[in-house]
Amino acid sequence: MDSTTAWTLEEGTTQIASIVGEEHVRVRGESVVCAPADAAQIAPILRFANANGLAVTASGSGTKLGWGNPVAADIQLSMGRMNTLREHAWQDMTCTVEAGSTWAAMQAELARHGQMVALDPLWPERATVGGIVAVNDSGALRLKYGGLRDLIIGMTLVLADGTIARTGGKVVKNVAGYDLHKLMTGSFGTLGVIAEVHFRLHPLEQHSRTWTAVARHPSLFDAPLCALLDSQMTPSGVQLRVSQRQSALDVRIAGLPHCLDESGAHLRKILDPLELSESIESVWQARQELVDREGAVVLKVSLIPSEVCAVFSELQQWADDDGVDCAAVAQATGLITVALRSEPEAAVTLIERLRARLRVCDGSLVALQIPEALRNKFDIWGCAAGTLTLMREIKRRFDPNRILNPGRFVGGI
Amino acid sequence: MLTSIQLDELRAAVGAGGLITAQNQLQTYECDGLTNFRVMPGAVVLPRTTEEVQAVVRVCARYKIPFVSRGAGTGLSGGALPAEGCVVISLARLDRILEVDFANRLVVVEPGVINAHVTQRVTPRGYFYAPDPSSQSVCTIGGNVAENSGGAHCLKYGFTVTHVLALEVVLPSGELVQFGSRALDTPGYDLTGVFVGSEGTLGVATKITLRIVKRPQVVQTLLAAFASPHAAGQTVSDIIAAGMLPSALEIMDALAIQAAEAAVHAHYPTCDGLLLVELDGSASEVESLMRQVRELCGKNGASEIRVAQSEQERALVWKGRKAAFASMGRISPNYIVQDGVIPRTALSRVLTEIESMAIGAGLRVANVFHAGDGNLHPLVLYDRSIPGQEEAALDLSYRILRLCVDSGGSITGEHGVGKEKQEALGYMFTEPDLATMQLVRCAFDPENISNPDKVFPRPRLCGDKPGPYVPHALETAGIAEIF
Repeated sequence: MDSTTAWTLEEGTTQIASIVGEEHVRVRGESVVCAPADAAQIAPILRFANANGLAVTASGSGTKLGWGNPVAADIQLSMGRMNTLREHAWQDMTCTVEAGSTWAAMQAELARHGQMVALDPLWPERATVGGIVAVNDSGALRLKYGGLRDLIIGMTLVLADGTIARTGGKVVKNVAGYDLHKLMTGSFGTLGVIAEVHFRLHPLEQHSRTWTAVARHPSLFDAPLCALLDSQMTPSGVQLRVSQRQSALDVRIAGLPHCLDESGAHLRKILDPLELSESIESVWQARQELVDREGAVVLKVSLIPSEVCAVFSELQQWADDDGVDCAAVAQATGLITVALRSEPEAAVTLIERLRARLRVCDGSLVALQIPEALRNKFDIWGCAAGTLTLMREIKRRFDPNRILNPGRFVGGI
Repeated sequence: MLTSIQLDELRAAVGAGGLITAQNQLQTYECDGLTNFRVMPGAVVLPRTTEEVQAVVRVCARYKIPFVSRGAGTGLSGGALPAEGCVVISLARLDRILEVDFANRLVVVEPGVINAHVTQRVTPRGYFYAPDPSSQSVCTIGGNVAENSGGAHCLKYGFTVTHVLALEVVLPSGELVQFGSRALDTPGYDLTGVFVGSEGTLGVATKITLRIVKRPQVVQTLLAAFASPHAAGQTVSDIIAAGMLPSALEIMDALAIQAAEAAVHAHYPTCDGLLLVELDGSASEVESLMRQVRELCGKNGASEIRVAQSEQERALVWKGRKAAFASMGRISPNYIVQDGVIPRTALSRVLTEIESMAIGAGLRVANVFHAGDGNLHPLVLYDRSIPGQEEAALDLSYRILRLCVDSGGSITGEHGVGKEKQEALGYMFTEPDLATMQLVRCAFDPENISNPDKVFPRPRLCGDKPGPYVPHALETAGIAEIF
């Protein structure tokens, strides 16, 4: 809000307070921060913003607010009041949860009936369902259970003009109408505000074990990893941890307790000649630890799985050559989290080099977290190639006045 | 009517051998598997390459001619039904498997490739393509993408969308674009996700990158006979409650068993509720779980439990199940195939309700369903020669759909909305929901030329005759069968 800030801010606060109640509105800097109770309250707030061209950002606990291009929000929707698991139809293995629920709180409720949403996102204790869906986060479980695209069966969303729309439903199998929830997943809040999500559920992995192999160089994992992924085993996590000092391969297998010994033996055979030792569950925190590194540039890299070890080797070499502190965790799905610490120029050089390398293996690189010194030094999203025109048109249809997270997404959407 | 200039341009796009305009030949394309809807297209083109598809769509875009893309025409909701005077783009000649990449467990195919051929191609290395609609021996991947096809095994393995990594698409403007890539999470909106299942309304897919899955070490199929579908349904609930995720859980009632037996002699036990459970995984795991499944079947009063002893026996079990629709002709002169979804827990109540609705209507309803995910396929049997019975059957079939929605479910689990269920979509979704979907439609296809007048509700046009199954001329002649 510019020259008319004082008036607009005051008027905006009054207007929004009349919707959500005074106790749920406050002014922070140049923004009005408000906490709606439900979709019915989000709708008039968005209508007001839309009519006045005010930028709106929805957030849960703000764990990923720094991801994407920065947005100066006039109105910040704080989703924390919308934190209820509205329904857990455990016999149908589905649930409906409000977007402001933290991941861990939802999972704790679902676990009472031995079920889970089969996804392991970052910061589960704090991150909320809406934020996780908006950025399409996923972890090691994706190898076995798929990503959010495969786990979300429906959604309630609020559009920029205040329309409350439902998509999908509460049943796992459903092909009626367009799957708008797929479009919303990973759209960084640029198309609508997610109010409620319906998930399909899986049984909790009651028994699992993790085995780890350690090697000096990631290239030593190439052949064994290929053999594992070409086998009939269905691990619920396969990750490669690489730092300048050493590399490790972790494999988690879940199953009936009396079958896990046999699985371990089978795994040893497949990964031969690697030496395996049993690990503790906390090795799966490796991705989280990378993202939490103070002052690091955090990248999300995606490439075809067969190239993971080769690209890791090259990355490590470049980092050594340029004096960049580089650590990475790759999932066997081909999704890699990389953390870099270095002088800004060296980081940008490495990123550009890696992007060029990824182009030849269908890959992509998005910078999720960057220090201020690197802001505007490179395009954090990378090129969206030939589909940008279509994406912009979708954005224009959903949000013609560009009030929802304007500029945050690919190509300045 | 297409003008001669337009036809010339289409001919230039696909060559003389790729354009059909003769009325008798056009007739082949006047409907899909939902044969009671028939519309003659203005022309049919048979492109061989992406470039030819693009050239055709550009002609359509320039003159705002509606186009409808089509695979094998096995769809059961009229999705490939031509629009009046439209151009049908048959993708049958784009039938190459372009690449098999075992290292990344994917294949790249053209849309006209037959579903089962993908599995055949990767079987020697122990892989398979998971989505398995009953028509898989003839239906095409392009059609599967349009409908987001499922099949019996999607309970564990997911639907077509789970297995599509990337698409090459000709947009309704004629522009060629790539959605997704071989690697996950391409930056930007998930256009692949929204395109799959859009029933041909957002463009034409010309290249599809699919995941393939390693075949499990062991696959076992169990048949259990119950005194009612309710007891079979309770067993399904118990299996799920025990934390198992079988690869398939199917139920057939007495009428369905009778028809399947008459058609393919699957040697099913005679009973009122047949449960088919398929488990896969490691040998020791399957053995343990199968023991548990047997116990649960026993607890719910199964009179006979048997496990298929050979691959042939297992194939026969599935052949009977997959031929269930087509075999209805053995027990009834006419029938309507429905496709609704309910929450699994509503199964018993909904079956009772369907039964009483059928009695009230004086009709028989056979039930075949993917019980694991609550996907019902009620088959409403009737005799058109009896005055009023067709109308009664139609009415019953739509009331069953509404019952599914009222029970918290959906009007379609895998057949799509197409032409048949346009109005029912309006029962399931509200006006704002539908208007939001239209925003996507308008972004992709502002001129509304890609498979127009499908999926979304509209005032019914004169001459439409919704509902019951009418055999296609090819089927009557014994040249083709429906699935």
